[in-house]
Amino acid sequence: MSTAIIQSAAISKHFGSATILNGLDWQIMPGQVVGLLGRNGAGKSTLLECLLGLRELDAGSVRIYGEDVSQLGDATRARIGYVPQKSDLFEWMTPRQMLGYFQAFYPRWNAAKVDALLERWGFDKLMQNKPISKLSGGEQQRLSIIRALAHDPELLVLDEPVSALDPVGRRDFLRELIDGVIERGTTVVFSTHILSDLERVALDLAFLKDGKIALQGRLDELLEGARRVVGPAALLDQPLAGELRRQRAPDGTVSVITHGGAGLGALGKEAGVRVEPLSLEDLFIEVTQ
Amino acid sequence: MTNHAAHLFSIATGSPEPIYRQLVDQVKRLVAAGQMAPGDGLPSVREVAQALALNPMTVSKAYSLLEMEGVLARRRGLGMEVAARSGPASSAHERAALLRPTLERAAMEARQLELDPDTVLSLFTQILKEQA
Repeated sequence: MSTAIIQSAAISKHFGSATILNGLDWQIMPGQVVGLLGRNGAGKSTLLECLLGLRELDAGSVRIYGEDVSQLGDATRARIGYVPQKSDLFEWMTPRQMLGYFQAFYPRWNAAKVDALLERWGFDKLMQNKPISKLSGGEQQRLSIIRALAHDPELLVLDEPVSALDPVGRRDFLRELIDGVIERGTTVVFSTHILSDLERVALDLAFLKDGKIALQGRLDELLEGARRVVGPAALLDQPLAGELRRQRAPDGTVSVITHGGAGLGALGKEAGVRVEPLSLEDLFIEVTQ
Repeated sequence: MTNHAAHLFSIATGSPEPIYRQLVDQVKRLVAAGQMAPGDGLPSVREVAQALALNPMTVSKAYSLLEMEGVLARRRGLGMEVAARSGPASSAHERAALLRPTLERAAMEARQLELDPDTVLSLFTQILKEQA
C-alpha cells in the first residue's frame, strides 16, 4: 500500500466565533486527481491553505510527504505547486521579472515549458513586460498557473484556477492539465464550481460541508451509486442504505437521496415509488445544502 | 480497414451517466451499426483524451471494459481495434439491448405523466412508422 501524500488529521480552524474546519480528516494518495467541492464560504480556500501550511491550525495536524506542514523543508516545498484563488502579490513586477524571481528558488525550473506556455497562452513581448497589476483577471490567473507549473511539481494544488477564464481559456488550461500534468503522474487537488471541468479531469471528488468532508469517492462510482427515491411515506419510513438526505413534502411524499445505490431494486418496483439517477449538479445540491 | 479519428466520439457533461459509460455505449452502437468494422483501428487513449479534454484514465477505463466484453481487441504493438466477431453479426437481440437505457428513461417519464402502457406503445409504434 502506498502512503498518503497529504495526511490531515482532526484539523480545526476558527475565524473569531465562526468554525470553518471542524475536526476534518482527509488524505490524498499519490497520483490522485481530486476535485474539492463545496458551497461559497464552505471553507475550501481555508482548507487548501491549511493543507499547505499557509495558515496556522487551531487543532490537528497536516503532513505532506511525511513532513509536518508547519516545518516543511525546502526540498519538499520544491515538489509542490500552488495556484491561489487570488494573488495580489508581485503586482508591481512584470511577468518576466516575477518568473525570473521565482526561478531562483527552484532547482528544477523548466524554462522551456514556461516559454512555451507564455507563447501558447497569448503572452506576447509587450505583455510579458507590462506590470502584472495592468493585466486582466484572466491574464493574471493564467500567469499564476504558469508559475505553479514551471518547476514540474509532483503535487499541484489549485484554488478555483479557472474562475476568471473564459471557456476557451478554461479548455486550454484543461488540455495543459491533461497533457502536461496528469500524464506525468502528478497528484492534483483542485477546488472549482465548474462541474463540467471537474467531470472531465477529476477521478475523485470530495464535498466539504460544515467543516468536514461530508462525502468522498470515485466520481464514476458516486454518479453510478447516487439515486433519488421518491414515494409515499408509508413505503419509505425506514432509513435506506447510504442515505444522505431526506425531505418530506406537504402531501406526504418522501424524497430520499442515497449513495451506494445497493438494495434499491425491490423498492423501485413498488407502486408509486420512483428511483432516479442523479447528475453531478443534482448531487452537489443535495450533499452541500 | 479504417483508422478512426478521435472526433468520432462525443460526450456530454452534466449527465447522470459517467463519461466512461458514454464512451462504452458509443463504441458499442458504432460497432453494432456497422460504422466501425472488425479490424478498424481506434484512436489512441491520448488522442481521445486530448480531443475531448478528458482525463486519459477515463478513456482507458472505457477501452478496457470494451476489451473485456470482447468488443475491442488489443493490437500487437500499440492501440486497439474492433474485435473480430466470434459469432454472426450482432443479433437483433443484442442491438435492442443498446436501446434499453434510452427506453428506460422514456418509461420513467411515461410513468411520471401517468400514461398507460397501451398509449405509450401506440405512440412509439407511430414514431417508428414516421421515421421509416
